[in-house]
Amino acid sequence: MIVHVNQFERGRAAPSGEALACVLDAVEESGLDSRTLASLRVHLDWIQYRANFRDPVTVRRATERDGQLLALAELAVDLRQAAAHAIRDDVSAALAAIGAEAADDRRVFLDDWAPLRDSIIWRFNRLFWQRLGDWEKATGRGFEHALPSGRSDANHPDAVADAVAEFWTLLRELEKRGQLPAEVFAMEIGVGTGGRAALWLDRFQALDEERGTGYYPRVRFLLCDYSLPTLDRALETVGRHRDAVSMIAMDALNPLKALAFLRYKILYIHLTNVYDNLPTDELVRRDGRLYLVEARAYVSPANAAGIAREFGIAPDALRATVDRVLEVGPDVVEDRARGTTFWRAVWDALRLEERLVALADVAEAPVPPGLHQGHLEALLDAAPDDVRFQLSRGAAESFVNTLPLLHPRGYLQVQDIFVTSMDEYRQGFRGPGKLDGSVVNWVNGALLAAAAARAGYDVHVAPFHYRPGSRTSILYTTQRD
Amino acid sequence: MKASLLTTAVVGSYSVPAWLERAKNDFLARRLTRHDLDEIHDTVVKAAIKDQEAAGVDVLTDGELRRDNMVDYFAERLPGVEVYHASKKSAYDFYESVVRSRLATASLGLVGDFRFLRRFTDRVPKVSITGPHTLVKRMRNGYYPNEEAFAMDLARVMNGELRELAKAGATELQIDEPYYSGFPEDLPWAIRALNVLVEGVGARVGLHVCYGNRYGKPSWEGTYRYLFPAVLEARVQQLTLEFARRGEDDVALFGEFAAPFTLGLGIIDVKTHEVETAEVVAERIRQAIKLVPADRVSVNPDCGLMHLPRDVAFAKLVAMVEGTAIVRRELGG
Repeated sequence: MIVHVNQFERGRAAPSGEALACVLDAVEESGLDSRTLASLRVHLDWIQYRANFRDPVTVRRATERDGQLLALAELAVDLRQAAAHAIRDDVSAALAAIGAEAADDRRVFLDDWAPLRDSIIWRFNRLFWQRLGDWEKATGRGFEHALPSGRSDANHPDAVADAVAEFWTLLRELEKRGQLPAEVFAMEIGVGTGGRAALWLDRFQALDEERGTGYYPRVRFLLCDYSLPTLDRALETVGRHRDAVSMIAMDALNPLKALAFLRYKILYIHLTNVYDNLPTDELVRRDGRLYLVEARAYVSPANAAGIAREFGIAPDALRATVDRVLEVGPDVVEDRARGTTFWRAVWDALRLEERLVALADVAEAPVPPGLHQGHLEALLDAAPDDVRFQLSRGAAESFVNTLPLLHPRGYLQVQDIFVTSMDEYRQGFRGPGKLDGSVVNWVNGALLAAAAARAGYDVHVAPFHYRPGSRTSILYTTQRD
Repeated sequence: MKASLLTTAVVGSYSVPAWLERAKNDFLARRLTRHDLDEIHDTVVKAAIKDQEAAGVDVLTDGELRRDNMVDYFAERLPGVEVYHASKKSAYDFYESVVRSRLATASLGLVGDFRFLRRFTDRVPKVSITGPHTLVKRMRNGYYPNEEAFAMDLARVMNGELRELAKAGATELQIDEPYYSGFPEDLPWAIRALNVLVEGVGARVGLHVCYGNRYGKPSWEGTYRYLFPAVLEARVQQLTLEFARRGEDDVALFGEFAAPFTLGLGIIDVKTHEVETAEVVAERIRQAIKLVPADRVSVNPDCGLMHLPRDVAFAKLVAMVEGTAIVRRELGG
């Protein structure tokens, strides 16, 4: 048995020690056979987001592609959620499940085993952004209040002022070389409330007037998002700059599809908390073998019964009802308000069961678009031997489909939560969490760096120093020539 | 119709498949021997020649597939240039290199590459050479008083290689100078260096200027107006420019300045995977020959094809040849 303590924060050693003692007691009592015991991994995690997709104690089994069980099994404890008095019982129950052939069939499964990128959680995520108004009406608060600081780092005035100053300097340099385009395109993908765009434009206009450079009238600022309600709201926020602003509904995974006519034309592209909200896969390496994380969503028997009772649905109809809500919207359950309550209840109760599906070799890994197997091999070379990490598929896809929009002197700025090197995966659990009704996930910055290098850019990641304690970083590109 | 009307050519590089890039990187990481990499290069060059022939291109190259990029192949062969081999892990990146003493005259090995190319094709072979201005922008100068002096001496050394190529039978040479577009203020001395490079070379020499193709993207934007009139001093026979991606407005500069060159007309966009149709190619040619007589135009992609997948690169060459054939028929008819 190997124990991984996946959290290094000061002051958390005691809970880890107590949890470990419980685990060891439970293992001793479990009577697991020596083969299983030798392949058992115990992970003590601290999940960044208090609301997440895991029960306090979970088990992950390893399987071949055809579902045949392998000896490797992982017992994972979220120290943040696990109640000290319950750990021992939870671990015992989990260890018993390792020995059992059948899963607990009283749980209500909402989808079937699939790689994380295809999990139903991404359908929930999409619904959240498409029906944001309904959700906020039901919760009585704006989605930004769910952020750890209660507001988005995107709108930090000092950060925006610095970004504007940097952009103005770029325009000045282009002008000096006689290369300033007649139209200066800037773009924000994932516009939130529109607060950042408004701040940016206010500040840019003021700076331009102060310095008398006449750049503001040339600015064409594009607000881009896949959610029309979000765009409408953002457009209202930037109302005083209407002549400079256009809104474009587009797929964040492929901005180039909607904006091909602006290839190599955009001087500044900004994204805040978009990549952490795009589908991802996760890979695991144990004892030199690679596994793809697959998941299936479930609701516990107690929660399923409660929801079914509350909404007058037969428990075995829960999956179909959820499917309809995700397909059509919350209105399909009684009325919109009740439907939204149903949606929130299911989301709150939703958990992911995970399994590790063995891959024959790296060639079987789902390499994100824009990268190839060689990139993945390089990442693995730089990674700890035992590692679980994100293949940030959506982020990489969006990234490589955004870079071609950049003017040769333009740059991309991404404010998000990044794992900046593969070695960082050694220092804590980086799995997904729930942020209000959306998914939030760490982004593999090393993967983006590899994608960027092949596309002709270096990426740099700087801590977001404008708010003490912020876990946000700013990734920005520079020309790799 | 004259046989040479609207000759089709490639600019230089051909598609570099991911597996070839990986082999080059494995060589850098010492996981592949020089001998094995050379064999791989020989094989892929033959395949590239075959692809160009099958597409119907008249003037072809070895696809520059032996080169990591447009600088390092030369930096490594120039006596007096120190190359830090540990400075890159990806073949496509540039080595850090520095010149610390006066460059010595020596063979750069291009004659061997040319002979290999000629052995495997009956078409007109062309050799592309990175020009002195571009090279001095990428190699650190630790000896010469300024960039111009460095470029002039580089041109002197490389001139010997060009003469050898001509003696070996090369009739088509091309000097690549994409950095002109990034540093237009250098143009007066850059053209002087170019003229030193081509002096006394008994072959037809073209000058290729684009807006960059590093990593398959442009490095600069602007118009070719900056080239004129300085470029008129260049002692070359052809100017090969990119128009497919940028539009053909600048073709008019040829007439405006009575340029004494033939025009290598870039009509294939090498920065998109979308394959042009033959009709689109034909139309681009028709527009251009309204401004420059057809007997002074040859047809080529905007730049090298190295960043395109092989199937796309091949399809684009086929479209180029078929589109050109349409216009040839129209002119012949």
